[in-house]
Amino acid sequence: MPATLHDMNLATQWHSAVSKHDFPLLHSSALGRNLHYLDNAATSHKPKAVIDTINTAYSELYSPIHRGLYPLAEAATEAYEQARLSLQAFIGASAADELIFTRSATESINLVAQGWARDRLQAGDQVWVSRMEHHANYLPWQRICQEKGAELKIIELTADGQLDLARAEDLYGPRSRLIALCQISNVLGNENPIQQVCANAQAQGIPVLVDAAQSVSHLPLNVVELGCDFLAFSAHKMYGPNGIGLLYARAERLQEMQPLLVGGGMVDEVGEGIAASSWIDGPGRFEAGSQNMPGALGFAAAADFIESLGRERIHQHLQQLTRHARTLLGQIPGIRLLTYDSVPLSSIVSFTLDGVHPHDLAQVAGERQVAIRAGHHCAQPLLRSLDLDATARASFAVYNDRSDVEALAEAIDYARRLFG
Amino acid sequence: MENKHSLYKDTLMKHYRQPHNKCEGEIEGADIVQRGANPRCGDDIEIGLYLDQKHVQVDQVKFRGRGCSVCIAATSMMTQAVSGRSIEDVRKLSAEMREWFHNSDGHDIADPPDDLQALDAVREYPARRRCVLLSWEALTDALDRI
Repeated sequence: MPATLHDMNLATQWHSAVSKHDFPLLHSSALGRNLHYLDNAATSHKPKAVIDTINTAYSELYSPIHRGLYPLAEAATEAYEQARLSLQAFIGASAADELIFTRSATESINLVAQGWARDRLQAGDQVWVSRMEHHANYLPWQRICQEKGAELKIIELTADGQLDLARAEDLYGPRSRLIALCQISNVLGNENPIQQVCANAQAQGIPVLVDAAQSVSHLPLNVVELGCDFLAFSAHKMYGPNGIGLLYARAERLQEMQPLLVGGGMVDEVGEGIAASSWIDGPGRFEAGSQNMPGALGFAAAADFIESLGRERIHQHLQQLTRHARTLLGQIPGIRLLTYDSVPLSSIVSFTLDGVHPHDLAQVAGERQVAIRAGHHCAQPLLRSLDLDATARASFAVYNDRSDVEALAEAIDYARRLFG
Repeated sequence: MENKHSLYKDTLMKHYRQPHNKCEGEIEGADIVQRGANPRCGDDIEIGLYLDQKHVQVDQVKFRGRGCSVCIAATSMMTQAVSGRSIEDVRKLSAEMREWFHNSDGHDIADPPDDLQALDAVREYPARRRCVLLSWEALTDALDRI
């Protein structure tokens, strides 16, 4: 599809705002500089601004957090809490105390399952997830439901891959104790009607957990307006560092949670027995051990980077690339796109090609410097329901442009000819 | 279309396009049928061993299933390489194959039978080693059941 003048103007404006030049790995590394990196739903690369922030954290600020009484430790602690404040603004939370630093989105969801749901679920209760959840928002619920004799209920999908809420009887019923949903599917790329689910759930007093791992980097987000009780995401999928994630827990819910880890930093007074021990107030109760200050600073820098571009603009850019990819891939004989025209575009295109296993597609693409993902994408329940073992997936980020999409389509067509 | 830097050597592609000993339906009449599956990538095969009467030789190995080109080609090569060999030889070759792939810096198989040498290129792709070894692991499991 030829680019329209409008698209080209937007692309030029976008390129002047951000490009691969801002990402050292993609700009100058041996393995990255010629790479069309389209595996962004797995993890994204880091802009220089984030890397510089982490460098500064280690070279100028590094010391213990919430433990030292000397100026360096006070500065480090202040920076760590400032990062929490920045992320509070980034997600629109009412208070910074509602933000818990974790290691990952996975840990955030496990913390809710083990630290909140465990004391609340009883035999016969229901926890609802959807068919399109990542294992990180599926297995924690499967496990806790089994342990407590509760029932894991699945919101199935319509023929075009959307949540079939009409078929999810009892979703808002008296036995429903929690609804845990991704905002954007990491396989289908679908954006789910989270606000609508939250509003209905809230009316019945049912908490909602949102897995925002795939959405937080490009969908405008305000947790208060969204009306969720919990929201989880990681830094590494939003241009931030590896090894740090976040759990937003509405103040009322946070008060109800028990820490998963006990140890240094989270205890107020250690008693003779564990029942006599008391925990500190606020999110620090859930951050046992030495805090990841460089990670938190890098996380906040990534949020600043996203804000500097604007999430609406990022979303538009990613939608354009996704549309272009759907068009070019759609022209390849034998291709099957797993996203549907009726579903709003996001940043992910999953597909299969008749006669070529997705691993071969990814391998051939890799040999042609196009990095895509192949496999079940940690969403086996979804793939089983689609009667697929694996798919290939391309996912876009701010640094991608139309040439990346064209290289993708060329590589997939080459694979078709190679295996044809 | 052979690319010397590619995993997809002509021999591998030949076995993928026209696999040896591949059944379309059930594997019928085999002495042992063993499944090998890798849910992480969706490779799922079944191999059938046909033994001689004294159970000292593998007369033939057949397979069926689905998987990527490396899995299907490697399984085809395996059936070709072990059919007609003594069980002792097959065990030895199976162990050598696993060693060859688990230790990519290790020694090459002294004299890889038939087309197995074509798999050498796959050793440079750690993510695909499992695709090669799936059928050999199924074979080892099958031999353990004799």
